[in-house]
Amino acid sequence: MKFKLRLMIVVGALLSLGFFGMAAAQDDQPAKGAVGGLVSGAGGAVSGAPRVTLDVSSTAPRQVEDTTERAIVRDYGRAWHDMADALAQNRADLLPASFVGIAQQKLADRIAAQQKSGLETRIVDHGHNVQAIFYSPEGSAMELHDTAQLEIQVLDGSSVVNTQTVTARYTALMTVAEDRWKVRVLQETQ
Amino acid sequence: MIRNIGLALLMVVVTCLLLAVGYATSEGVNRSAGTPEGAVRSLYDHVRGRDWRGAMRYVAAASNTDERTFAKDVGGSDGSLRTFSTLQDIRTTVLHENDNDAMVRANTHWSSAVGSLYDTRDLHVIRENGDWKVIWPADKSPTAPPQVMAVNFLRWDIIHRAAGDDWASQDVAAPNARIMNMNALQHDLGNGLQGVMIVGEIENQDTVPAFVSVGATLIGKNGETLGEESSFDKISHTLLPKEVSPFRIDFPGVKLSDVKKVTMQPNALLVPASADPVIAVLHQRIETDARGHKLLKGELVNQSGETVNIPHVIATYYDDSGKPIWVSDGYVDHALEPQIPVPFAVDVRDDVGPNPKFRVTVNQYSIDRQGA
Amino acid sequence: MSAAGGTSRNRYGLAAALTALAMLMAHAAAAQQLRVPDHVVANAGATLTTSGDGSATFYLVGPGTALKREVKLGEAIELSGADLRNAGRYSAILKAGGNAQAASLLVAPAQPAAINFMARPSRVPVAAHDAISGVAFVFDDYKNLVTSPAQVTFNLAVGDAAPITRKVEAREGIAWTRLDSARKAGAAQFVASIGDTNVRRVVQQVASDPCGLRFHTAPAKNGVTVETDPVKDCSGNPVPDGTIVTFVETDGRTRSTVDARIKRGIAQAELPAVPGALITVASGVATGNEVRLGGGK
Repeated sequence: MKFKLRLMIVVGALLSLGFFGMAAAQDDQPAKGAVGGLVSGAGGAVSGAPRVTLDVSSTAPRQVEDTTERAIVRDYGRAWHDMADALAQNRADLLPASFVGIAQQKLADRIAAQQKSGLETRIVDHGHNVQAIFYSPEGSAMELHDTAQLEIQVLDGSSVVNTQTVTARYTALMTVAEDRWKVRVLQETQ
Repeated sequence: MIRNIGLALLMVVVTCLLLAVGYATSEGVNRSAGTPEGAVRSLYDHVRGRDWRGAMRYVAAASNTDERTFAKDVGGSDGSLRTFSTLQDIRTTVLHENDNDAMVRANTHWSSAVGSLYDTRDLHVIRENGDWKVIWPADKSPTAPPQVMAVNFLRWDIIHRAAGDDWASQDVAAPNARIMNMNALQHDLGNGLQGVMIVGEIENQDTVPAFVSVGATLIGKNGETLGEESSFDKISHTLLPKEVSPFRIDFPGVKLSDVKKVTMQPNALLVPASADPVIAVLHQRIETDARGHKLLKGELVNQSGETVNIPHVIATYYDDSGKPIWVSDGYVDHALEPQIPVPFAVDVRDDVGPNPKFRVTVNQYSIDRQGA
Repeated sequence: MSAAGGTSRNRYGLAAALTALAMLMAHAAAAQQLRVPDHVVANAGATLTTSGDGSATFYLVGPGTALKREVKLGEAIELSGADLRNAGRYSAILKAGGNAQAASLLVAPAQPAAINFMARPSRVPVAAHDAISGVAFVFDDYKNLVTSPAQVTFNLAVGDAAPITRKVEAREGIAWTRLDSARKAGAAQFVASIGDTNVRRVVQQVASDPCGLRFHTAPAKNGVTVETDPVKDCSGNPVPDGTIVTFVETDGRTRSTVDARIKRGIAQAELPAVPGALITVASGVATGNEVRLGGGK
């Protein structure tokens, strides 16, 4: 009987501590160490860009040139870096460097809504495995399938509302802009 | 008191002297030229200030020319390059002289927007009423007779995609221009500098006009960039469909033996353009002048209905195998009136061979051309 | 001993209190349930159900949106079409006190309703193999890329000639095709359609290089007039006006050249009338006949 009581007490205490601990982890300061490495990387987008690996082995109908492959890796990584900065700081002015058209508009809408609600989104980017599935015949548009490892925090003011570690799949459409490739569509898929 | 009056008188005298000097240096006084060379120099001093009336005082009555004709001859007309030029320098040499006449060679240096222009005239100077005066031959160049010329401008305009169009809508494609041939050579670049020059030809292979430029990068043996330049004035930038232009790109101070690779960057933009004017290049031949230098000479004839203000002659020279080996150019400082032949001459390098193959193209600049 | 027994009782009391607190909080957490629908289509809206008592803060963060709303637990949360207009993953979060529960909501694109049609090039020579490409990007009404399969029809037509039609299934939002250019020059209408939606582009099919270039001479006031026959390509299409045709006259000592422009199908120029001189004609890579003045052709 005593043993059962002690067991209940221990389990209860552990549950309590675990619960409080979890709640504390949620309500504490955001995971600055991890986030800061990405979001606070103010010295040039490329230096703070996440890891991107690109597979062009099954791209059709046009074969991806080496220079284009390098440019896509660079510019897609830069786009994620810029997006993370923009969503964390609620600054739509950071978007045009890497986004254009629909993607830029949707992100700008989200930033405006975040500002209105007093919210922020922080993304800890653990990298992207990208497959180029379409490269247009004249070489001005490319569709990518991206499997991204992300840790996403939603903040209300300074407190973290929710943290999710996800493996997300994105479809991205990149098109040639002035001097680089820019993301025109970025849509998460199942 | 006396001192004050003296000072006032002195000031009056000085003022009168300054007025007299000003009057004398203006058009008020006809300075007499004591020497034939002085007469020529005085004439050109007035030309420098575009003071045709003043210059005419040094033109002998025997010239049988009037101020308007003189101004047209010396100062240019019809928006020609000479009208945009300024006399910078004159050097005179007396070829022979006696008591009543002399022959003076005047080498003039004019500055213009396209660089320096040089002109040489042997002027007959005579003593007229005790003063030396220049016989300025009346300009006998013909003018276009009054006539009605049917002009049907062919012209291209471009409608680019509108800002509101969806992103996939195509803009008009850039013209397809291709470098047909090129040659990298070590040369004296014509300005006393040794260096590498890239000469070649570019063709507009499209069916629309193109604004072309050609860039070149010299890569060294270790992959380093030795120079990066682009064609500037030794090219016709606006090319109609199937038109070919030479180009020359100079890299002063670079040795050809240091160059491992040359990267060419042709660039073509779609531009509105007119198909006119058509300029015929007639009687092209290579002659040797009195100094033993070769000149490529000929006449330009504007076969269109509007005046061409500034013609620009570009000559390409080829070796026996047809590879371009030199491109030279020159501006003609006379405007091209319709159907009136205007001579031109372009320097030929002495090392291009005794009878080089060549091709002459004409670029042109026209002011307020309708349809241009 | 009694002291020890008292301590032991106190320990049991604290543990019991903690257990009670834990159970209370676990109960509260269990009471704050958020359920999201399995399948949502863009702009269709959705109803999220909650359970529990009291009030909570509801957050919805996703593509193009971020909203925060006070809700009553146990009542449904209605999300309008505008809230879920953009396809992608949304995070729905319900927070009551210090406890938050999150759920993911994946919004799928709606039916195909728009095409972004990329037709290249804008100019193409006639009779060229696989020279024209068309790429259709399929979107719904809310600018979401429709990644489910959909059939796109490409249609290329010049003038009265029979059109070329290709039906292509769009995969991952993209359908593309390659087509030959026609033998006839003109503005080709290139149309991509899906359902009732179609987008039209114009591909200018232009004449190729001149073929069978010929010219003749006639005396003129100041020399000789040289004039081509109508300049056409090998398919019989007139070469566009403005194309350069070069006449070269050589007489052994001098050479005269004119870069004439084709106007109304022919090129014309004037050259000096030098007896015995040879006149040739060329346009691009195409060369034509020769005429010797005062002699045979």
